[in-house]
Amino acid sequence: MGILGKIREVIEGMAIHGQATSILRIKAQIDNLFMIITLGDMLGIPLLPPYYSLRLLPYMYPNIQTWKMYMLRERDVTDRIA
Amino acid sequence: MGFLDTPAPYVLAGLALYFLTYMTYSKYIDKRIWNADPNRPTPAKLYFDGVEYFPVSKYVLFGYQFKSVAALGPIVGPLTAVLFYGWVPALLWVIFGNMFIGWVQDYSAMMMSIRSEGRSMGPITYKLLGGRARTILLVYLVFYLIIITAVFEWVIIDVLNRVPGTFVAVLFVLLGGVVFGQMVFRARMSVLTSTIVALLIVLIGYFFVTLVPLARNPPTNFLDNPAYLSQFPAPPGTNPAALTWPGTNTALFWLVVISVLYFVAAITVMPKFLLPTVYVGYLPSIIALVLVLLAAIVSPLTGLTIQQKAIGSLFVDPLENPQGGPIWPILFVTIACGAISGWHSLVSSGLTSKQLEYETDALPVGGGAMMTEGAVALSSIAAMMVLATPPAGAAAYVTGATMLTSRMLHVDPVFMSILYGIFITVMGLITSMLFVRVFRLTMAELFEGSILGNKYVATLLILVLAGFLAFVGSWTNLWIFFGGTNQLLAGLALLLVAIFLTSQKRPSAYVFIPGIFMAITTLAALAWETYVYGLYAWLNKPIGVQVAAAKLYGPWVVSISNYISAAFGALLLILGIIMTYYLISGWLKYRKEGAK
Repeated sequence: MGILGKIREVIEGMAIHGQATSILRIKAQIDNLFMIITLGDMLGIPLLPPYYSLRLLPYMYPNIQTWKMYMLRERDVTDRIA
Repeated sequence: MGFLDTPAPYVLAGLALYFLTYMTYSKYIDKRIWNADPNRPTPAKLYFDGVEYFPVSKYVLFGYQFKSVAALGPIVGPLTAVLFYGWVPALLWVIFGNMFIGWVQDYSAMMMSIRSEGRSMGPITYKLLGGRARTILLVYLVFYLIIITAVFEWVIIDVLNRVPGTFVAVLFVLLGGVVFGQMVFRARMSVLTSTIVALLIVLIGYFFVTLVPLARNPPTNFLDNPAYLSQFPAPPGTNPAALTWPGTNTALFWLVVISVLYFVAAITVMPKFLLPTVYVGYLPSIIALVLVLLAAIVSPLTGLTIQQKAIGSLFVDPLENPQGGPIWPILFVTIACGAISGWHSLVSSGLTSKQLEYETDALPVGGGAMMTEGAVALSSIAAMMVLATPPAGAAAYVTGATMLTSRMLHVDPVFMSILYGIFITVMGLITSMLFVRVFRLTMAELFEGSILGNKYVATLLILVLAGFLAFVGSWTNLWIFFGGTNQLLAGLALLLVAIFLTSQKRPSAYVFIPGIFMAITTLAALAWETYVYGLYAWLNKPIGVQVAAAKLYGPWVVSISNYISAAFGALLLILGIIMTYYLISGWLKYRKEGAK
């Protein structure tokens, strides 16, 4: 990467990275809501009859691993400081 | 005029020493102590979730880390220290503090978090020292946030009052932020187009204020009568009507204005107001920072020489001048950010550590950002050096930076004075908004289910408490309190890293010794400041510029403020002692276990 590219990335980090992460968090909350409704049984929260969960499973499959990791991770207020 | 009579050689020497430290000492620590390995998977790769944990380029993270750590701290602290102790002690602490303690803390907290699955300070404290230590850390954080908000509020009030036109220009910055947010998130327009529109709004505001004298309103102390202000004893050589006096109607007006902004920022969704404002406000701030550093380096060409005393008084009697104190420990807490700051350990372990692509990126991101902040502190010292009779408070930075840059660029000083007025105010506003928000999140964690955990109640609580301290308090004393709590947090973070390294059976002296030094120094500073506040509250006397508030509302109002400050100080001192005890005994315990 050239010097201009590095400067561009530094400015991007200063100006927009925090914003991008914050938007990703909000988007993840909406996605999580959908995942909980459809596949809540995986976390011990059965909301939909298993029939519908099974029908939706192929579409949700690619995201299950990261979703479970995100949902079950311990969280602390000091994670939200930056 | 000799080369050595200008700020340039000292700024250059500082930059050269930072570079040397980065190339030698920091690389040694990175390689030998932490054994950073680019092939070891980082939490960003191990726990990838695309939301918080995902690998990001080290250049982006450097920019993010620098933005999160550099605010008013590296600017206001050095100029206050130069005023009290002269520029030589301030310069030495900024250079050597950063070389041996500052970057060490930022980098080590980041590495500790990387090696702890990306956990932040709270969970790491819980894991190493137990639940009680974590709760004490959070309570400590609550008081720290109240004090830092009060300090920044007063700095912003002072600049808004003493640099007329700043508020109008800042309003344009805020408008640019809101427009940017709406364009990107509501209208779904491209970031580039939205940025151009937002920057145009900022530029319109800037040129409107600098070219139209009518826009430079309201004037200084516009709600107070000059004859009425002249009754208060001003520092020698200053005009009472040009100072900001706590307790006056003008101070109250600006306090209410910024409190409304804080409230909105604390309760709205972050991408709607807070983050776009940070984005738009930061772009002119980068230009302002680079310009002042360049102007300091080329000062031999512009003919500006050092006007400040090299060494000031090393001990100040609290009854003669309550806003100073003995050089040890007060200098070491007056300059917090720029030399070392506890806030950085929270930032380093908050988000950055979760997104580092390689372990070896921690040094340029954590250590590099801290050394760059040291450069900001050097620029602040340079701005102060060239002033013969600096105005009190953060306005000194505006005056010094204006003098340096307007001479370099050959432009009317009004242009630069408004730019630096915007710079100080925006940097203060965006970080304070974040502090108020973090306060309400911490209160929600500590008082879950209680009324104190409610977001409106918690936000109002900090605004009322911090607002009261800022309104009647003397800012330099509060600044020392802020420095004391901030530096103690840094000492505690260093000791926590020492425990972590000892638990991993690695050498920890390079963090343990600075940690002990910072803990002792800051506990002494907190004890001193608690004593000063207690003494003045007991004697029913105002501290420094509190004289105006005492005359307006009666000495009891100021005494209440001083009793509250003394109580805060005593509480922080006790919490600090308990945490230091926990950390040292934890370190000894892990050391003993390692020896078995």
